[in-house]
Amino acid sequence: MTIEITTYLIYLAISIALTIWVAHTLHKNGRIFLVDVFHGNEPLADSVNHLLVVGFYLINFGYVSLALKLGYEVANAKEGIEALSVKVGMVLIVLGGMHFFNLFIFSRMRRRATLRNSPPPVMPDAFTAVREA
Amino acid sequence: MALTVLYDPACGLCRRVQEWLTELPKLVELTLVPIKSDEARRRFPGLNHELTSNDLTVISDQGAVYFGPKAWLMVLWALSGYREWSYRLSSPELLTTTRRVVSMISQNRYQISRIAGLSR
Repeated sequence: MTIEITTYLIYLAISIALTIWVAHTLHKNGRIFLVDVFHGNEPLADSVNHLLVVGFYLINFGYVSLALKLGYEVANAKEGIEALSVKVGMVLIVLGGMHFFNLFIFSRMRRRATLRNSPPPVMPDAFTAVREA
Repeated sequence: MALTVLYDPACGLCRRVQEWLTELPKLVELTLVPIKSDEARRRFPGLNHELTSNDLTVISDQGAVYFGPKAWLMVLWALSGYREWSYRLSSPELLTTTRRVVSMISQNRYQISRIAGLSR
């Protein structure tokens, strides 16, 4: 096995493991947010949670796959490790970006749901009789 | 909750705002009724309708009356895109400024309409 092939295989192993770990964390800890957003409607929260994780996997594996090609020769183990660190570093940054994007979506959904049921900002000045329209 | 907004149909700015309000997405139902109209008097028999020409008035379906700056905050609160602003502008730090600006606009609404070319 050449050094390039070894580099690719290690890259794939690390990237896939990292993606699964982040997706798992997101799935496990995002659920409680979504249950709150959907007012305790757990089936709906689980469904949205699952759909988000599927999107997360697709984008990340898509990136990992696109970024696989090195495009230059790797002569020895040192260069192999250097190439690997650049590739894995990029995957980590993309994963981090995606993760924060997901958190942003969770918090925005939650804020919207909270705002929808929030009381008027001010107290009334007076009260009057109302006849039905 | 549903809100009724009593607006001044004689003021171009108010008519423009009223058109704008009907188009925006809302979190609570907003009904716009011209001030001192038969409709307004019929719906709110106990209200002092002379006062409604001084400033914007908002009345909830439970009969809670919001007048002036509070009425404007309630209108913002009713709109999907501006509910956060209603809380921001009614915070203790900003409420004084909000009151001042809204009163200024309300008192000069005919002049503003004329300058902005909104009066018919």
